[in-house]
Amino acid sequence: MKTIGKIALGIIAAIGGFLDIGDLVFNTQAGATFRFDLLWAVVLGTIGIAVYAEMCGRVAAVSGRPVFDVIRMRLGFSTGLVALVASTFVNLLTVGAELGGLALILELLFDTTYSMFVILAFFLLIVIVAGLPFGGLERLFGYGGLLLFVFVATAIHQEPDWTAVGNGFIPSIKWDPTYLYFVVGVFSAALMPYEVHFYSSGAIEERWTKRNLKENRLNAMFGYGIGGILACALIVVSGQLFHPLGVDPTDLGTVALPAQDAFGETGLLLALGGMLFAIGGATIDSSFAGAYNVAQFLGWEWGRYRGPRKAPRFTIAWLLFLALGVVLAESGINPVDITEYSVVFSVVALPFTYLPLILIARDRTFMGEHANGRLASVLGWGYFAVIIVLAIAAIPLLLATNGGGG
Amino acid sequence: MSLRSGEEIRLGYRLLDEQIIDVDGKRCGRVDDLELRHDPPRVTAILVGVGLYPRRVPRRLRGLVRRLVGPETWGENALRIPWEEVDRIDAAVRLKGKAEELGLGNGDDPDRWMVRRLPWN
Repeated sequence: MKTIGKIALGIIAAIGGFLDIGDLVFNTQAGATFRFDLLWAVVLGTIGIAVYAEMCGRVAAVSGRPVFDVIRMRLGFSTGLVALVASTFVNLLTVGAELGGLALILELLFDTTYSMFVILAFFLLIVIVAGLPFGGLERLFGYGGLLLFVFVATAIHQEPDWTAVGNGFIPSIKWDPTYLYFVVGVFSAALMPYEVHFYSSGAIEERWTKRNLKENRLNAMFGYGIGGILACALIVVSGQLFHPLGVDPTDLGTVALPAQDAFGETGLLLALGGMLFAIGGATIDSSFAGAYNVAQFLGWEWGRYRGPRKAPRFTIAWLLFLALGVVLAESGINPVDITEYSVVFSVVALPFTYLPLILIARDRTFMGEHANGRLASVLGWGYFAVIIVLAIAAIPLLLATNGGGG
Repeated sequence: MSLRSGEEIRLGYRLLDEQIIDVDGKRCGRVDDLELRHDPPRVTAILVGVGLYPRRVPRRLRGLVRRLVGPETWGENALRIPWEEVDRIDAAVRLKGKAEELGLGNGDDPDRWMVRRLPWN
């Protein structure tokens, strides 16, 4: 019974940690622009992250290898280095976007300027990492992120045309560049690779073994699955409120407005609070993911569980990721724009990390009886095909639509 | 999976690029290259260090990488770990001795990085 409770708590934390600034920005804009039409892309992305995370967690638990260990082993130094550089670039953009988003929300809640809050958020996050063990970090931000369920309540409260909502889950392709750009954005925001890389290294931090395989599967199915409901709710509330009004939600504060519209100031505070935890957690996850990747590729000692004294280069690496995020957030570029770039480029970089992972996950030399079965193979390769198509389409669509702006 | 002496493995598949861990469980580099000698060839040492990175990239990038990591200097940025020091190979290359005694993992010496006083040690 004890383990069931522990597994449930882990899943709840994963649900709360599902959303980050990418989903908040892209899904709200997708709802405002195309009403419910892109709900299917959320489902596609959510199943995608569940498939990828399940594989990474299983590889970590069975073979003891996190993602960039696998990448160096399977791609070798030279090609692996391309994957490392691409992932590091995307991680930097993401840390900058999340830190900027954090400051934007603090600015809305309190009465100081954005630029001050970037610095404040930087120090606050370091204090939190210093004060909490690895599991505590995941739970603090995961549970806090549950406040975002206010968007599910908002969706129900709005009483939308549920048939129209249901139709949104039926995949449909329109040959309109803006629509296709949002397909890429919504999918990619759900399947941000840093989340999976963090999850995989987290499995090593928490000393997972084969005994955690069930927990891994449940996490992927329910943690990400229910998290996907939150991502859908963002589209529904925005499609219901902003689409008829023709509002173009270009700033982060607008994301929270549907909750205020439904539940007044309480709704607004719940939404902003949930966003604060979700984006705060994502800032830590993405900066850690950046440091994990570099340390694993180069063979350094790494891990929050080792502490700075035993893993000094890893510690300095994640502090450096955060510090460079500050520079990016203070550069004067709107965090919402940085978010769009980080989401779009992340799907471009994704095949480099996804392919070696699937090659190890199917390899009985490393995985024994826990190698990919038939279902994992079909899903794994199916998603590889989807990712390749989107990775190729992403940059042309970004350019053709001027970042979705038309 | 664990290997015993006398077993055959595919070097590029199973040994090159593998994580190295010392007797205390400390991660201390990766197998950046291998030394093969004798006829038929056998692995006589694993080679570790950033100085070996230029060997691992395409020819036209070698100059650039060498400028970043410095020229290959044995005992400094390129280390030779005799095969006799390897205890076993499982999810990593496990060494019989401590990293410091072999010159490995110096980059993670806390005194080089002023991290001793960070509050979350």
